[in-house]
Amino acid sequence: MKPSLLRYGKLALPFLVLMAFLILPRVRDDQDLIRILFATFVWTIAGIAWNIIGGFTGQVSFGFAVFYGLGAYTAALLINAGRNPYFAFLGAAGIAMLASFLVGLPTFRLRGPYFAIATIGVTEAVRVIMSNVSFTGGASGYRITEYGPFRQNEHYYQALVILALAVAISALVAYSRFGLALRAIKQDQDAAAHLGVNPYAFKLWAHAIAAALTGVAGALHARYNIYLDPSGGPGGVFAFQTGISILLIPVIGGIGTVWGPVLGGAVVGVVEEWFTVKFPSIHLLLYGALLIVIVLLEPDGLVGLLHRLAKLFRRRREDTGGPRADKVLWGRSRLEGREL
Amino acid sequence: MSFVDYLDPLVSAVLLAGIYAAMSIGMTVIYGVMKIVNLAHAGFMMMGAYFVYELFERFHLNPVLGASLALPVFFLFGMAVYWLLVQWLPKSDQPTLSSLLLMFGFWLVLQNVALLIWKNEDRSIFTPMTFSVIRLGPVTIPKVRLIVFVAAVVSVIVLQIVLRRSWYGRAVRALIQNPYAAKIAGVDDRRTAMLSFGVGTAFAGFAGALLALLYSFSPDFGRPFLLRSFVIIVLGGLESFSGVAVGALVLALVEQFSIFIPGVDASYQPAITYGLLVVVLLVLPKGIAGLLEKKWRVA
Repeated sequence: MKPSLLRYGKLALPFLVLMAFLILPRVRDDQDLIRILFATFVWTIAGIAWNIIGGFTGQVSFGFAVFYGLGAYTAALLINAGRNPYFAFLGAAGIAMLASFLVGLPTFRLRGPYFAIATIGVTEAVRVIMSNVSFTGGASGYRITEYGPFRQNEHYYQALVILALAVAISALVAYSRFGLALRAIKQDQDAAAHLGVNPYAFKLWAHAIAAALTGVAGALHARYNIYLDPSGGPGGVFAFQTGISILLIPVIGGIGTVWGPVLGGAVVGVVEEWFTVKFPSIHLLLYGALLIVIVLLEPDGLVGLLHRLAKLFRRRREDTGGPRADKVLWGRSRLEGREL
Repeated sequence: MSFVDYLDPLVSAVLLAGIYAAMSIGMTVIYGVMKIVNLAHAGFMMMGAYFVYELFERFHLNPVLGASLALPVFFLFGMAVYWLLVQWLPKSDQPTLSSLLLMFGFWLVLQNVALLIWKNEDRSIFTPMTFSVIRLGPVTIPKVRLIVFVAAVVSVIVLQIVLRRSWYGRAVRALIQNPYAAKIAGVDDRRTAMLSFGVGTAFAGFAGALLALLYSFSPDFGRPFLLRSFVIIVLGGLESFSGVAVGALVLALVEQFSIFIPGVDASYQPAITYGLLVVVLLVLPKGIAGLLEKKWRVA
């Protein structure tokens, strides 16, 4: 195959996959499959969002459950107040964005491991507060009452469209000057600052975009699941575990790449929604083992693995971008040995 | 309110600070030498709790004795974990994402193993001393808390002596101060790292075993204590051993006295703890030790 044809094929592949997902509910009317896919889309959106701040900008956050939960609760409150669900999604994005500034304004003054540790504190504090405030029912959770019939396909298409949007935003960020600035901050914050990039402002905006997307993911989750659980246990929207599942998506797929979180989202979605149901007693073990294997054997995640496989089949050795290019430039891969 | 009303929470804060110091110091050793934020600390603490539980249930071993037995067992366990997993991590003088994720993954594995063995139910250890108290004037002290406090403080002091007097301790302190210079001076960093991981794990297991005497536990046992350890070592300045003791005392005092803040419900108390973490990070990123250092430099 000519390389140009290969390149066109690569460009067309996402659209083909998107088309396939668009017509899928018409071809196969399998409720459970649609449910799993819906949940996978929601996880993937959150994972893509995390990758914008954690992958491109290199600011690892354990606190994305905050935005996920706030988005979910905002949408729930708005829907219960009789608003249009799409307006509720926008509201969720707005509130999550606001929260991102509240979290980011103080914590982005910190460098090194401190930002990551601070986000852990923020998550737990927000969870405790949300389990105690009265207007959302406190620890007993919150129920959404939406009038009209429940149409699963509507939820499915909603999530699919927002997912496509999220991928588009992620690609836009990755290939724009904005994204270039983010990468510069990740590689060397001081050097970036010397070249006229304001690290503080750029981090804040990247965080805000990520939070807004995560908030929408939370809103999708809320509208579909009807009941919101603020507890710290599995399934709780503010749980530390939720933030971790979001973080795992880009890590599994390939951190700092556009398609990594998409692949990772597929894996995490299937594990969360299918594996957890089938083998509830060992799904933590699976996650843990997967993490250990990725960290020690393939720090570039699935994308790195694919690149490695592609290299085996390719005759010409030159590297055209991708995770390995970072390695050539910086002597280390995206995850491996990267400072927080 | 009179002074006596504040005496009770003060005493319990001091007793709590002892066990807090013991549970955090292992984390400081590991962070200082390897710059690894050990998320698996919670898993080791949970294993320590079940370790002493099993010894108590099966062989009716005194839990305090069981806890001391946890020290060597978890020391070996930690060295094994280091040899098996941690040593393959890329070396760095800053915390890395991969080290965080590796330890988190290992925590998940430990949690799941515990779930498979002991199921997801709360357990606790009851001994005759669990409900007995000592009265000292207006203050009542639960006996078990006093014993735990003494055991914890003794262990921390012994560790301090080891770190100050032994060759290993000198290597640890050298690596914390300047890893490059330490290596040039002939410190075997791999060996020291392996021993330090063992020491850190031993203290996690020991602290978990002691905490099992005070609280009920499940496979998710370590999580709140992991977060408290974070707060403590951040308060202490991440790499300072004496800072840990101060951090533990500050956190215990804040926890005990936050119930006196008017208008704040007691159920918000954990939020205050985690809020404290964020505030300290912002105001004193080098912790209390950093503050003292600055003062000295000015003087």
